[in-house]
Amino acid sequence: MNETLFVQLLDLACGGLLLTAVLVLWRRELVVIIHVFAVQGAALAALVGVLAVHEDSIELGAVAAGVLVLRAGVLPYLLRRALASAGEARRETRPLVNVAASLLTAAVLTLLAYAVSRPLVELAPSGLMSPATQAIPIGLTVVLIGFFVLVTRRRALSQLVGFLLMDNGITAVGFLTTSGVGLIVELGVSLDVLLAVLVLQILTARMRETFGDTDLDELRELRD
Amino acid sequence: MSLVAVGLGGALAAGVLTALAAVVVPRRVRSAVAGTGTVVTGGAGVMAGVGAMTGSSLSVALPGLLPLSGVSLTLDALGGLFVAVTGGVAVAAGVYGISYTRSHGLDARGVQVVFPLFVVAMLLVPAAASVGTFLVCWELMALFSLLLVVAEHRHRPEVAQAGRWYAVMTHLGFVAVLIGLLVFVAHAADDSFPALREAGRHLSPGAAGLVFVVTLAGFASKAGILPLHAWLPRAHPEAPSHVSALMSAAMVNPGVYGLVRVGFDLLGGGTLWWWLLVLALGAVSAVYGILQAAMSTDLKRLLGQSTTENMGLVLVGVGAAGVFATSGNRVLAGVALAAALLHVINHAAFKTLLFLAAGSVLHGTGARDLDALGGLRAGMPQTTAAFGLGALAASALPPGTAFVSEWLLLQALIHGLPAPGATGGTAAAIAMPLAVAAVALTAGLAVATFVKAFGVGFLAKPRSAAAGNAHESPPAMLVGMGLAGVACVVLALLPTLVLPAVGTVSGVALGVGDPAVSGAVTVRLAGVAGALSPLMLTLALLAAVVLVVGAVRVVAARRARRAARLWDCGGGPMSARMEYTATSFAEPLQRVFDDVVRPEQDVDVTHHEESRYLVQAVEYRRKVPDRVERRLYEPVLAAVAAWGRAGRRLATGSVHRYLGYGFYTLCAVLILVAVTR
Repeated sequence: MNETLFVQLLDLACGGLLLTAVLVLWRRELVVIIHVFAVQGAALAALVGVLAVHEDSIELGAVAAGVLVLRAGVLPYLLRRALASAGEARRETRPLVNVAASLLTAAVLTLLAYAVSRPLVELAPSGLMSPATQAIPIGLTVVLIGFFVLVTRRRALSQLVGFLLMDNGITAVGFLTTSGVGLIVELGVSLDVLLAVLVLQILTARMRETFGDTDLDELRELRD
Repeated sequence: MSLVAVGLGGALAAGVLTALAAVVVPRRVRSAVAGTGTVVTGGAGVMAGVGAMTGSSLSVALPGLLPLSGVSLTLDALGGLFVAVTGGVAVAAGVYGISYTRSHGLDARGVQVVFPLFVVAMLLVPAAASVGTFLVCWELMALFSLLLVVAEHRHRPEVAQAGRWYAVMTHLGFVAVLIGLLVFVAHAADDSFPALREAGRHLSPGAAGLVFVVTLAGFASKAGILPLHAWLPRAHPEAPSHVSALMSAAMVNPGVYGLVRVGFDLLGGGTLWWWLLVLALGAVSAVYGILQAAMSTDLKRLLGQSTTENMGLVLVGVGAAGVFATSGNRVLAGVALAAALLHVINHAAFKTLLFLAAGSVLHGTGARDLDALGGLRAGMPQTTAAFGLGALAASALPPGTAFVSEWLLLQALIHGLPAPGATGGTAAAIAMPLAVAAVALTAGLAVATFVKAFGVGFLAKPRSAAAGNAHESPPAMLVGMGLAGVACVVLALLPTLVLPAVGTVSGVALGVGDPAVSGAVTVRLAGVAGALSPLMLTLALLAAVVLVVGAVRVVAARRARRAARLWDCGGGPMSARMEYTATSFAEPLQRVFDDVVRPEQDVDVTHHEESRYLVQAVEYRRKVPDRVERRLYEPVLAAVAAWGRAGRRLATGSVHRYLGYGFYTLCAVLILVAVTR
């Protein structure tokens, strides 16, 4: 793969990551959000795959396949199952911050991520890996947008997606900075995420059984 | 192997083995095993302490025992004195505890395991030779004592409250000591005491002053000095009595030890204002503590407040020693410090005796309130004798124990007027006479307090059925009291047995060669034209008493005698209700010191339904609150509570709000990073 093609593919994958993160903020249908999340998983896998091809690393290729299966296949499937059992509440009806303001905030967060990661970008040696290092702010932006989703969305499922968005962002930053975390590390992180999603799915189901709703603000009365 | 090594090693081994044994042995013999083990621990401690005071010393370093700092122990003469005192108190309390714990339901594993460990921790504090070791031992001592204080929390709700006060105050004190010593260590090569001693010489006055004041706050809170005394009259009385004795007689002493060690030894003497501060705190604590004790009607609480008084007197001595040392009069400083250290020993002896006797009263009657006692002389003669001896020892009257040390203290203060033109002359010239007045006032009030405690509590007629049915304590408790009583008598009549060693210790602590005090029967002071012979004084006193009694007998024998009922104004036989109570005894004093103690009185008159000219009932309540507590602690506690309520508004229970806190903080930090880079 020549250098130009590598840079173009890498930027495409990163653009996909950022675009899907913003789409999660934009759309209100929970089904659509899950689709978008699956696309983001695929973009992340593509990012890892591009890196693998560029480095001729079979191990990294295996990781890319794993990421694809987990983040574009298993996790969306689990989310969809949780949604199917959720019944009526299929829309994020009243987010704490409305969609227009959310999109503006996403823009501000992107700027913030770029400003903060400047020293990291400057650290990069001007050679082999510099295109990847240049893309670090994208990963950071996805983390921040994921956190923002956690803070502003009410449905338990949107919260779950926010959490997974953060994890996607962290994974992306990891790959972009180190050009390949070890297989074992990635395996451990993936299992962690899978477990967290399974637990949260059970919690969501329990919440609905108990309160008939998955609006997290209903939990307010539980204190003391 | 030297005496010190055998003693300290033996004490450690005995204490830990006793704790282990108390876990495994059956309940029947547990009290006996734990008590005997504690006696052995204390005895070994006395051996180590005496060995260290008579010249030999010990240094042990165990770097692997604690992570990071390791453990290093050095027992020198100054530490030896405190180790010996703690060991002695532990012997008496251990014997006493054998019977006391069994009869008070305290023979569960918890108390019996912690008790010897508490003694071990107290023995190790003066032997620590690095800041890490010192702080660990200090904290262990605090934790073990806390566990013992709350031993009876299931029976009485006050115990839990006292435990909370104690836990908070002792940890605040620990934090103060920690901060002070860490600031000090930051200027030294490592955290060992020799390194600190070296660093203390080059410390800037500001840093040294900061270290001294902060550690002083911590040490003063341990010694129950004003205004950090509020926990002491709560925690000491609520502990089981043998623990009260150990806390009040031994656990306050590490405060004094720390002050002397840091102030004189590590920081090398410091400046005049440090010691004037110590002197002022001591004087105020002495007067205020004994005033509170004079108003108190709870026997054990009274003894706790008297501890504040005695530690105040000790601090007066330490402060005076510092003032003399900084103004160059090292010999007199030695006398003042010797007086303070001797008072530590004397206080340990008589406070042990008094608390053990109070525990015996509690055992025999179930009451601590002086207004409900009285007439114990008939039911518990040995305890009455023990408390009477303790009361005499605590009053600064010849031939009492405290008299010797207070006389020494007064000698030092009176001769402390500086030569004209000496450095800090004006401050000392004002401070010394005031200190003399404070010590004298304290001594007078102490006499009144202990006359009240003994007269109202033990003499006259019983004021309640419980006091009437009082029974004497079992032999082990009497032996414990007897040991403490013998120590009191020896210290009162032959203080010269310990004084030379104490004088040497104070000389070493101040860096003066020759001992401050000498003499075999008569106490002679270095640099001061003062001498005292307690034994001769007592003999003279006895001779005078015998002479007067004999003369009265001879004179009275000439007149005819007639036995009749006591004149009661024709009001019929006198009942216990007509007796002087502790409250009424203290009333004149309360009137005199009205502006200081500010008693709260409340009179409720209930009128008859038919006519308001007829009175149905009159209710009178009087309470002497702790004024320092009201002015200083209550506003602080109220402010903390208000903060807590304000803080609750931050936590409404909304998950989004909690997540939002994290998000906004993260963004703020990122913006800060981006802007300030």
